[in-house]
Amino acid sequence: MPLRRLLALACAVAMVPSFAMAKDTIKIGFPIPLSGPTSVYGVPILKGAQMAVAEINAKGGVLGQDLEILPRDSKANADEAVRLARELIIKDGAQFLIGTLTSAEAPAVSTISKENKIVFLAPAAKTTQLTSPQNIHPYVFRVASNTAIEGQSGAIIVSKWQVKKIATIAPDYAYGRDVMAAFTAHLKQLRPDIEIVDQQWPKLGEPDLTPFITAQMSKQPDAVYCALFAGDFLTLVKQGTPLGYFKAIENRLADGGEVGAVDVTQPLGADFPYGIWADAYDPVIWPGKEPAEHKAFIERLKAFMKSDVGSGWAAQGYSSILALVAGIQKAGSTDSDKVAAAMAGLTYETPLGKRTFDPKTHDADAGEFWGVMVKDAAYPYAIISSPTYYNPAPMTN
Amino acid sequence: MAASFLFSQFVGGLTTAMFLFLIASGLSLVFGVMRVINFAHGSFYMLGAYLAWQMVQWLHPSGETFWPAALFAAACVALLGAIVERLLLRFLYGREELYQLLFTYALVLILGDAAKYIWGTGQLSVSRPPILGGSIMLFGATVPLYNLFVMALGLAIAVGGWRMLSGTGAGRMVRAASYDREMLDALGANVGAIYTGMFAVSSFLAGLSGALVTPIVGIVPGMDVEIIVQAFIVVVIGGLGSFWGTFWGSLIYGQVLSFGILIFPGFSLFSVFALMAVILVVRPWGLLGRPIR
Repeated sequence: MPLRRLLALACAVAMVPSFAMAKDTIKIGFPIPLSGPTSVYGVPILKGAQMAVAEINAKGGVLGQDLEILPRDSKANADEAVRLARELIIKDGAQFLIGTLTSAEAPAVSTISKENKIVFLAPAAKTTQLTSPQNIHPYVFRVASNTAIEGQSGAIIVSKWQVKKIATIAPDYAYGRDVMAAFTAHLKQLRPDIEIVDQQWPKLGEPDLTPFITAQMSKQPDAVYCALFAGDFLTLVKQGTPLGYFKAIENRLADGGEVGAVDVTQPLGADFPYGIWADAYDPVIWPGKEPAEHKAFIERLKAFMKSDVGSGWAAQGYSSILALVAGIQKAGSTDSDKVAAAMAGLTYETPLGKRTFDPKTHDADAGEFWGVMVKDAAYPYAIISSPTYYNPAPMTN
Repeated sequence: MAASFLFSQFVGGLTTAMFLFLIASGLSLVFGVMRVINFAHGSFYMLGAYLAWQMVQWLHPSGETFWPAALFAAACVALLGAIVERLLLRFLYGREELYQLLFTYALVLILGDAAKYIWGTGQLSVSRPPILGGSIMLFGATVPLYNLFVMALGLAIAVGGWRMLSGTGAGRMVRAASYDREMLDALGANVGAIYTGMFAVSSFLAGLSGALVTPIVGIVPGMDVEIIVQAFIVVVIGGLGSFWGTFWGSLIYGQVLSFGILIFPGFSLFSVFALMAVILVVRPWGLLGRPIR
């Protein structure tokens, strides 16, 4: 009798983990910068993803399982991101990877995803290297826009201006270089008469842009295409305005670094150089024909982030989760190979409309919203006047 | 190339130089007197920026609230510096330099996380004080008034600091402490107070430069690490621990960066690092430094 009781007890104990197994979650490893200068974007992307997960779990999850995000701080460092990705897969049992921010981290993590046959979605890295023919593999997908789309959008906008001499300024690393290559190539096709008179390459995070600005002004450009973003753009505005930089080009500057989003316009307030062109993944404030689902998304986002202004980057994390969930549902399984196969060519919903992964390049046809930055009585900061979706190169590479 | 352009490039370099001098002077001072390489100097600079922003928000985002906010920020950072020296750093003087390095590096991490916790990871901005919002024309070049103010302040601190060190009783004590701490101690001077005071002054300079930089630079996480690298380059060029060396090092850095952009537009940092490499090979102790005994 005691033996039988012991066996029963052993069975009961053995049952516990198997019950836990039944309720196990779908684990998503999320290495992204949560400290340092790029955490400006990493944190809202993670918040957007966490909001999507909370909403999906509240509705019963996917295939009866809850989603779980395992956030890790990649510090915008490729080596650290690789180490975290490995650890997430091997130690924490992550079945999928979403994350990385910079164009250095994403290709590095992509190799880990290939090695381990784990689906990896990049919400923010734009370099075309990530999905170029020699680097593409079945498991990597990009929810972000890319440098070809961004550079070509800039060229289309600038080509409509009555200008002859263009200057450019961009951070000196893969992203800045790739954007400017795409911009100059496309501008040459559209307007062979325009001359590029100057190109400045300050390093990322350069605290003093004054010498770059004065050097550029000396070439007397009519207009500027700019890829500075976040803190660097703030610095450009704060140092350029008193030097007369924006006045000299009559505010004919287009910036492709998402500086039209509230993340940048709100801190700059009235110091923003009104009249320039800027873009955003998500304009957040959308005068004119705002889609109802976007309006609802921003309301929920503000509540979730406990913020009055929200963020133009949260949609990237949110959409990445929606894309993955659509892939899992289409595959009817969480098996990485099946999900990867299902995601090639997959169309998924985002708060900004439908997006589709190209079956070959695995890039989403993700353009951005552009427009001229204006004052609006309702807000103490600049907004994009009528956000227009630019998506000139859905299939690059 | 127009002369007015060369002049504006020169003034641009001068602005860079004076900001770097404000930051690097404190770093150099602490090394010169206390032989401590303070990695956390950049963190004090970052705290100065965040505190100035916070104070401007509390007082009023527009109007001349920037000035009291900057002084408040610098004073807070000086107080923090004094506390850190008195309660923590003091116990490491007798140890190997490696421990001091590790300690100040730990401070970088702690203060970085603290700033992230308090102010979040967003980007922040402070407007230029209205009184210095404009700019003037000098020899055909546009010079922002705020930049002129920073240049004047940098020069004032250089001259004032030098006068303090060379001409006053307190300055003599500080110089004596940098030569031979134990002898000074044996003569009955309060070396502990001198060290605490020096560290507070250095922190004040860091906090002040952090506050003063907010009207021309965006406040973002990671600005601490960004600036400490540049400050170290300046100090290495000028000579670790040499006050005037830091001054000249800043001026040279500013002009080399400014005109380097013209010569090698594709490699903005090349000229500065090339300069540092040459100095390290030819004069490892820097322009005005002295070989370490």
